[in-house]
Amino acid sequence: MVTVATQQQSRRRWRPVGLTRGERKRLFLGLAFISPWLIGFLVFLAYPIYYSLKLSFTRYTGFGVPVSIGLENYRRIWTDEVFWQSLVNTLYYTGLTIPLGMVVAMLLALAMNQDVPEIPIYRAAFYLPSLLPLFAVSFIFIALLDPRRGLVSRLMRLVGLHAIDWFGDPQFAKMALVILAQFGAGQMALIYLAGLKAIPLTLYDAAEIDGAGIWRKFWNVTIPLMTPVILYNIILGISAGLQVFTQAYIITNGGPANSTNFYVFYLYNNAFRYSQFGYASAMAWILFIISILLAILVFKVASKRVHYEIS
Amino acid sequence: MTTSTSSLSRLAKRPTSRRTLLAGSALGAAGVAASSAFAAPTLLRHAAAANEVTVWTSFTGDVELNAIKKIVDGFNQSQQDAEAKVVQVPSQSESDVTKLMTAVRGGVGPDVYLFNRPFASQRAADGVLQDLTQYLNGEDLSGNYLEFAFNECKFNDQLFALPFDTDARALFYRKDMLAEVGVDAAELDPAKGPITLDRLHEIASMMDKKDGNGSYTRMGFVPWFAQGWHYTWGYVFGGEFFSPEECKITATNEGVVAGFNYMYEQAKAMGPKEVQEFLSSVNRPDAPPAQNPFYTGAIGFMISGDWELASMANYAPDVEYGVTHIPVPKEGDSPSSWSAGFSVVMPQGAKNPEGAIEYMKYFAGEPGQRIYTQETSHLPTYKALLEDDSLFDERHNFFREMMSYSRSLPTTPVGALLWDELTTAQDKVKLNEATAEEALQTVEDRVQPQQQQYC
Repeated sequence: MVTVATQQQSRRRWRPVGLTRGERKRLFLGLAFISPWLIGFLVFLAYPIYYSLKLSFTRYTGFGVPVSIGLENYRRIWTDEVFWQSLVNTLYYTGLTIPLGMVVAMLLALAMNQDVPEIPIYRAAFYLPSLLPLFAVSFIFIALLDPRRGLVSRLMRLVGLHAIDWFGDPQFAKMALVILAQFGAGQMALIYLAGLKAIPLTLYDAAEIDGAGIWRKFWNVTIPLMTPVILYNIILGISAGLQVFTQAYIITNGGPANSTNFYVFYLYNNAFRYSQFGYASAMAWILFIISILLAILVFKVASKRVHYEIS
Repeated sequence: MTTSTSSLSRLAKRPTSRRTLLAGSALGAAGVAASSAFAAPTLLRHAAAANEVTVWTSFTGDVELNAIKKIVDGFNQSQQDAEAKVVQVPSQSESDVTKLMTAVRGGVGPDVYLFNRPFASQRAADGVLQDLTQYLNGEDLSGNYLEFAFNECKFNDQLFALPFDTDARALFYRKDMLAEVGVDAAELDPAKGPITLDRLHEIASMMDKKDGNGSYTRMGFVPWFAQGWHYTWGYVFGGEFFSPEECKITATNEGVVAGFNYMYEQAKAMGPKEVQEFLSSVNRPDAPPAQNPFYTGAIGFMISGDWELASMANYAPDVEYGVTHIPVPKEGDSPSSWSAGFSVVMPQGAKNPEGAIEYMKYFAGEPGQRIYTQETSHLPTYKALLEDDSLFDERHNFFREMMSYSRSLPTTPVGALLWDELTTAQDKVKLNEATAEEALQTVEDRVQPQQQQYC
């Protein structure tokens, strides 16, 4: 709705004034052009969000009529020990994957930023693993981490370490998935690379004149100017980490002993295995609230430490 | 070359033509998109033909699939009104029917689904399945089937499934490994009754081999391998998992706790991490059937079902093996076993219910079950077939005779949840992460509230 408030009209009441024919036509054309997106948004985003909110106050098997039960689902969540375990698992996974991912991606980006003639080949090679679909990497990992015949186990034995049963040991299963997630580091690395390239070389020269070594240059020039990119990657990482699902579904089925029972995997099981759509919807909304809280936290912490301009 | 460049540059200099080109290609793209919308309905509807019966199964084993295809061919040849088609829809685990539920919700579900019978009442309670009584026209099929199997197909006195096959579990042993450790196979003769668990572990520990790093390279017996499920050991120790009269999940029942305790102590004795590591490497989830560690000689004893008879004939024909009762805790205890099996159900929204019910009566009736028993060495639930001696060789006869004392899984609308929770509890116990009482108390705490809704 287009409202027009001129100096002559009262500021207190915004009444929609009639549009001129030209404005109405432009408005209509504009809406028509974005209608595919608008319809998609309403059908696939707005309506399901509203519907899941409604469902979270009911008991519903997916068939028949939802039965309203008020806040019972949310109360059940509070006392459900598997829920808390899944939340801990997910936060643990996210908490490990993001820093590790940052380091790996930064190293990759620095490697991709070297000034050698054949750098395009290296860039492609570093980026390739992130192109593999997650479920394919999952199967590769099952073979790689086989405690008897897997490559990783053989290497460990060579160095004298006792082989770890990665996916059979509750302590190590999550770690195996954290390592698996690093296969996707190539995508983050590309963005870091773009950030690296945006740093003017004159700053490095100035630092060298002041007597800075490699580490100093990295820590005091590169990192501060990369903070916007790092923040971007942290936000993306949190979002992806909270939604981890595929690896649990394909490799571990939530085990062993619920150690890889992640939040979204537990949500999925509640909805589709145990036909508890209401409970699953309530879990979805709790995840939404947690995500918002985390995002607020990140932005608060970041506001003082992210430098958007070279000052 | 020159002509095209000059005409191109002429085009570029005339904005109106570029606009026409853009408009034209946009219209073309929109037209393609629109025409694919017309194609979508035909793509979505598999059973375009009115007389087609779509059958979904989650089976992935060749032996079972081929048997089902044979039955389908037999059905198609036996009558002209309906044509059945089998579609393979693998599922992630025993209790997972996500693909079926989402398809039915979306209106593209099958006409018939081959379903794990003990969980039928849970799905019936969910509302996914149709009551078959309306299609049977008063025909009473209950007398044709084993009582326990037929009861598993009912919910709230309505019939939601027709029983298909069943099975029974026993202890399989490798004769070569037995001879290697100097034990006479005659000791395990089923006619002598079951051996004790202590004796089994005595023999099995002789078969264990470790390498230089302390990892197992061969094991005699792992209680939770193959069909060594929570139910198996609970029933061996005389436990009850569910009380229909009290409408209570009785996971902390004495016998069940004893069964889980057995697994706990065994794990402790063998080293839980070492056993887990051994199983992870010899029993990969995606491995082909021929790599079953019992078939390859990595494990000497296994608790499994009668389907192994056909499976071993196919994938390990050279292995000499014997079959005997599942071991018992004390000398003189009577043997135990449990049976499950599959059934056929008709989901909501089936497009061809008349054809579907004809197919189901054939498939779950005498013709279908006869073929399935012969091909896969499962047991029929059709009573007349069980009495037909020609279908059973000596080894299979052993399983047939178990039916007189074999237990069945509890019939409850939360069967799938109960199974999953018991599996989690078993995981914790076999890794020594929780005691039997703790783990089973958790099962009760989590499943009973759900069960309460149906009391």
